[in-house]
Amino acid sequence: MLVFRSEAHVQRWLGDRSPGTTIPITKLAELANAWWSDRLSPDWQPHIREQNQAILDRLGLTGEFWRLG
Amino acid sequence: MTPDDLAVRQATYRLFVQLGQAPTPAEVAALTGIASEAVPAAWRRLHDAHALVLDGAGGIRMLNPFSVVETPFVVEADGRRWFANCGWDAFGIGAALHVDSTIHTTCADCDEPVDLDVRDGRPTDPGSVFHILVPATQWWSDIGFT
Repeated sequence: MLVFRSEAHVQRWLGDRSPGTTIPITKLAELANAWWSDRLSPDWQPHIREQNQAILDRLGLTGEFWRLG
Repeated sequence: MTPDDLAVRQATYRLFVQLGQAPTPAEVAALTGIASEAVPAAWRRLHDAHALVLDGAGGIRMLNPFSVVETPFVVEADGRRWFANCGWDAFGIGAALHVDSTIHTTCADCDEPVDLDVRDGRPTDPGSVFHILVPATQWWSDIGFT
């Protein structure tokens, strides 16, 4: 899970590697807020897969690549 | 996850944020009232449940989104310097602490610095991108690689 200065840098870095998926850094920030914001809560409970999948779906991160299982 | 395991998890995270380093079993025991000898086994169960990540020797490596060890993802937040496990986790530290942050890393391609100020949960410069190489079903197959 890596940061790049632009999509052109991703393509150059990939070379012969099989590509995964690229998202804007703004979408990553949205994902991080949704995924991690409860992590230090005194009331924290483990996320079940369906909760995490719902976060991805809500942010439009859908399709086979984003299926958790 | 048993109530005792959850208590160990909560204490471990709380102490990490307080101390800036992974707590010892004795420190977790003192906070929870659980026997010190029982803490490493609880950590192992939490590792198996993906609630934290241990290293090969049974020490704590990740309290996601925080990294216990130094990484190329440095985050300034809440007056402290933290390490994240990846770009996603780097944004997660400010989210978990509920504060603004500044992320320092490098472009994986050209190695040039990438410095990202995050204000109210959003990067002030939206120019960078994030690449995830492996699909979600494989994220926990090798979390260090992921």
